[in-house]
Amino acid sequence: MSHHGQKAFLKGVKVSERHGAGEWKAERLSSLVLIPLTLWGLWSAIALTGGGYDRARDWFTQPVNAVLLALTLLIALWHMYMGLKVVIDDYIHRPASNRTLLGLIGLICLVLAAASVFFIVRLALGSAPLPAGFGF
Amino acid sequence: MSNPVPAGNPGDREDDQSGRFVMQPNGRPRPLSPHLQVWRFHDTMWGSILNRGAAIAMSGGALFVVAWLAAAAFGPEAYETFSAVMGSPIGLLVWFGLTLASCYHLTAGIRHLVWDAGHGLTPKTSSRLTWASFLSAVFIAFAIWGFLIGSGRVAL
Repeated sequence: MSHHGQKAFLKGVKVSERHGAGEWKAERLSSLVLIPLTLWGLWSAIALTGGGYDRARDWFTQPVNAVLLALTLLIALWHMYMGLKVVIDDYIHRPASNRTLLGLIGLICLVLAAASVFFIVRLALGSAPLPAGFGF
Repeated sequence: MSNPVPAGNPGDREDDQSGRFVMQPNGRPRPLSPHLQVWRFHDTMWGSILNRGAAIAMSGGALFVVAWLAAAAFGPEAYETFSAVMGSPIGLLVWFGLTLASCYHLTAGIRHLVWDAGHGLTPKTSSRLTWASFLSAVFIAFAIWGFLIGSGRVAL
């Protein structure tokens, strides 16, 4: 953070004083990576649609698919958190509400990310259907 | 609205009678931001609003994708139940909507990366890019669902 109103310029453009540039770069980088991953995801969805459980099980046991799907979902959830943060910052200005909603969105994204990785790892390893071993 | 600019020399911004300038707290007249009531609706505004709408729809769609993973992890019976619910008319409508949202968020995202790189920023080219992202998204979404239905992977 800069102090005393000092502003830094690079090639005539003001340099962000705190974390703005980092967020901007993270949004663009995740967008760029998600272009091929989204195309792959659409392709995979077409391949899996109507195939039933057996085709899905076979699909997950191929490491390429499991790794790419985990990567796609983790980057997409990160991208989703950054996007929803912008929406909340745009419309929710009361600090307490803003913080609460951002925390809630972050928590939901983390839970979805953890659940995704958990399910994908089990499917990739060909583990037994889930209730087994968890006692419920 | 802020303080109107006081009368001064006619014809310049110091004597603005149109309301296009406001006096800033530092005492300088500055142009008033374009206001909703005098702002002509642009193609790029639709592009932006729909892109955010698609993003919010996809955030809901993330829940459906994780539900699909859960169904697969819970075994054949759970997977068949999930497939039956998602294969119902309402389920298919939801997935078609999510396909359209994904395709548009993809093409609009590419459009924004082009703009971020400093290209296509004139009014004409930005409108054209926006229309290109609309049409290509609709084309991809309908091509996917045309194939899914035509090949019998989705039964209506």
